[in-house]
Amino acid sequence: MSNAPAENATAEENAPEEVIDLAAANQVIDQYLTLPGNLMPVLQGIQEEYGYVPKPAINLVAERLNVYPSQIYGVLTFYAQFHLKPRGRFIIRVCVGTACHVQGAPRIVDTFFEKLGIGHAETTPDLRYTFEKVACLGACGMAPLAMVNDDTFGKMTVQKVDEIVAEYNQRPMK
Amino acid sequence: MVNLTVDDKQIAVERDATIYDAAKAAGIRIPILCHDKKLHPFGGCRMCLVEVEQMKGRLIPACTTPVSEGMIVRTMTDEIIKARKLVLELLLLKHPLDCPVCDAAGDCDLQNLTYEYKVDANNFTDEKFHWEIDYDNPLIERDQNRCIHCGKCARICDEIVSYGAYSFVNRGIEAKIGTPFDGKLDCEYCGSCISVCPVGALIAKPFKFKARWWALNKVKSVCSYCGTGCQLTLGVKDDKVLTTIYDEDQGFHNGQLCGRGRFGYQFVNSDERLTTPLVRKNGTLQPVGWDEALELISTKLQEARKNDPSAVAALATPRLTNEELFLFRKLFKDVVGTDSIDHSAGYAHEALTAGLKESFGITASPSQIVDIQKSDLLLVIKTDAYETHPVIGFEINLGVKRKGVDLRIISDKTGKLAKLPKAVNYLHKPGCELLLVNALAKVIVDENLAAESAAAITGLDAYKGMLAGVDLNQVAAVTGVSLESIRELATAYAKAEKALILLPIGLGYPGHGKELAQALSNLALLAGKIGQEGSGLLVLGEKNNSQGAADLAIHPTAGGRDAAAIIDGCASGAVKILYIAGENPVVAYPDRAKVEKALDNAGFVVVLDLFLTDSAKRADVVLPVKSFAEKCGTFTSVGRHVQRIRKAIKAVGESRSDREVLADIIARLTGEGVAADSATLFKQIGCYSGVNYDALGDAGAIYPVNVSPKFVPVVGSVPATEEGKYALLTGSALYHCGTMSLSGVGPMLVCPEQYIELGRVDAGKLGVNDGDRLKVRSASGELSLAVKVGLRMPEGVVFSPYHFADASINSITSGKSVTWVSLSK
Repeated sequence: MSNAPAENATAEENAPEEVIDLAAANQVIDQYLTLPGNLMPVLQGIQEEYGYVPKPAINLVAERLNVYPSQIYGVLTFYAQFHLKPRGRFIIRVCVGTACHVQGAPRIVDTFFEKLGIGHAETTPDLRYTFEKVACLGACGMAPLAMVNDDTFGKMTVQKVDEIVAEYNQRPMK
Repeated sequence: MVNLTVDDKQIAVERDATIYDAAKAAGIRIPILCHDKKLHPFGGCRMCLVEVEQMKGRLIPACTTPVSEGMIVRTMTDEIIKARKLVLELLLLKHPLDCPVCDAAGDCDLQNLTYEYKVDANNFTDEKFHWEIDYDNPLIERDQNRCIHCGKCARICDEIVSYGAYSFVNRGIEAKIGTPFDGKLDCEYCGSCISVCPVGALIAKPFKFKARWWALNKVKSVCSYCGTGCQLTLGVKDDKVLTTIYDEDQGFHNGQLCGRGRFGYQFVNSDERLTTPLVRKNGTLQPVGWDEALELISTKLQEARKNDPSAVAALATPRLTNEELFLFRKLFKDVVGTDSIDHSAGYAHEALTAGLKESFGITASPSQIVDIQKSDLLLVIKTDAYETHPVIGFEINLGVKRKGVDLRIISDKTGKLAKLPKAVNYLHKPGCELLLVNALAKVIVDENLAAESAAAITGLDAYKGMLAGVDLNQVAAVTGVSLESIRELATAYAKAEKALILLPIGLGYPGHGKELAQALSNLALLAGKIGQEGSGLLVLGEKNNSQGAADLAIHPTAGGRDAAAIIDGCASGAVKILYIAGENPVVAYPDRAKVEKALDNAGFVVVLDLFLTDSAKRADVVLPVKSFAEKCGTFTSVGRHVQRIRKAIKAVGESRSDREVLADIIARLTGEGVAADSATLFKQIGCYSGVNYDALGDAGAIYPVNVSPKFVPVVGSVPATEEGKYALLTGSALYHCGTMSLSGVGPMLVCPEQYIELGRVDAGKLGVNDGDRLKVRSASGELSLAVKVGLRMPEGVVFSPYHFADASINSITSGKSVTWVSLSK
């Protein structure tokens, strides 16, 4: 099952236990504690705080909301909006939909892979970039299309990849 | 009732029935993969599609569609067959089709339906799944490639087991059944998921490659662990019990089993089983023939019978059949003439044999297990009811989740039951149960909530007089349960139309004795909760035949020694001959050192057991006896349920049943033969005269009782505490029952050694984590135990189970409900 997002498919059995400050997660849970059907807003709130949903926070949610960890994991892996690993400061998304594909998207993707040293759904060790292939960004007229956070780059070329990376390398991390 | 037609058959069914239920009632089989009668309808697999005249134009899933008046259903048309074939083709598309090496082959719904619908070709092609197979788990092997996504494993784990080990993870074609973070499966190991898996995605590892399904002989029996009395089916081949087989139509529990019931059968064919009688010669136990061993025992008993019968004492395990217990009593009470017979250390059956005996005039619970789901309010003493009787725990789960039973728990820890929806756990300081129960009664009296029926019961005035002396503020202060909580619980209990109290008892629970049972009986009588369905008091006997041992009066009834006095008598020399049928006092009775000394000091000790236990090692004669799978007879479980066990395999080695041994000894002593077949013996048992042995069948029978209620005032006392020490509670571990499960292999794979469980705060204070070791020191000894950190234990309270022979907890406990210990690294 090669298409599975990498973050879901690999079990991190040997990774050291994450140590994070759960105060923010506790605050989010406090806010929704009595709301029926509170799992989604709690998880969204936690992702808002941490940029992803850390494992210790999942255990905390399970304990405080009395929901099985397995079910929380099920919800987190079902919705594309949730992330289980820290995400980069800049999310690079390249469309590989039909229109972009025929306009050469695969070469754009490969160039990004080469430049950043990461693959699909992966994050650079310095947490600057996360790269994602996406199905369609809804701007086929600009194909091939890439986005970095909310900035859009149409009519992408291999040269433009270099320019984008060079520019975002200069941007501050905060 | 709703009338409808299924395949031209007219049928009337309940309003809430589905088309599937209606067809089943009409004797028409609709194929299913994702449906299970115990679970909520799911409608995922689309195998059960049928045609409904009134809903033409599409096929309707039978398992999720409720019936309606005048419905005309057809379950087998060309279109339906085509649709079902398509479903099977799509499932087979991804399925690995590794049937030759799959343990489910023969018992696989997918395989059987594929055959039935003649799916011999597939119109589609696709890549197979390539999920990694989980071989790591000692009991449950998970192969997601075989999974057909019926979700039954995840649903049963949620709906019935309430553990939630699995869930659907990912989405679309990537979806699979997963554990949190795709980690290792770490659960209660009840194996319910295996039992409902329609394919071989989940298989019992101990059974892997042991036998083909169709080669197994299936023998119906009753589980020989706890007192729940779950029916089970043994899978037998070549005189070996190889597995337990799921049968959804067995028993009140619909075939549900716990981990020890499902995986703990391996003691039967264990290599450790004793195979010949042993007699101590020159200080060592040496194999001898049966005749020599029995003659030796008979000679000793004959001498004592003539000279000093009171020097003979006997202990029997409540795992023997009723027939064996009957002969046991006959031998020692009638033939030898001693009243010193007992079991379960004396205290573990007192709730029934002394407590309820006085309060209700019977040595059994007035209620039954099926009352749990019929009740409005359950008052459970200790959340340990889940650990001691897991399948009763499932009943509680179902009652709370499906029937909206109001669950209240009086407990010294926050166990699993406390996590059920809307459950209220009244966490109290250790050893305060009796105080709390009396306080509840006091509130009921003070607020005039007592039932009118209570006025007619003997002893009410004395009881009220005693309650008048109860100081609620003091109880609240001592127990740690607030006055408001006590008031609220008492009111809820008294006002509930049907309220049932559950009291687990056993060797691990010295505090759950006569007095607590009486205090609870008083409470139930005061609130008028005895004598109606869904109400009353259910005392959960620890072992498979604890109830039978109480019924057959395997305890001193005429001034003889009880178990504790027998041990003391051995130590003092007053008891010269001790016959131990299956008990393991060295490990299970309080104060190990004392018991060891007593056994060494007794003149002549006979032990009958399956294994060379720590007690057997100290005996003069050891006799190998049969396990439950090798003999016939009856067990009586919680709620007075008498059920038959059947011989499934030949005797292991030269072992004989306790029944045969006892009959032989009686014959040698009296010179007259006694009938030793189960049917004849059962008919001689007076208290079961209302039960017809020949009509017991698979279902068994519940014998009736007449309750003659009486208030027996019992005063609670404030438990002593020791500053700076931890309160050590003993009890049952979920995976074990008594000491027999130690040889069950399955339970030992997931819970192999004695441990001490403590809360996070205490663990932090002591600076220990899971798996570290702690020195546990009490007044009577010290043990080094593995640490288990969890959420169950409140601050200052620690728990340790009693089952284990190595570092057994009874080396530091002395039979009090709380032992004060100091902990250090």
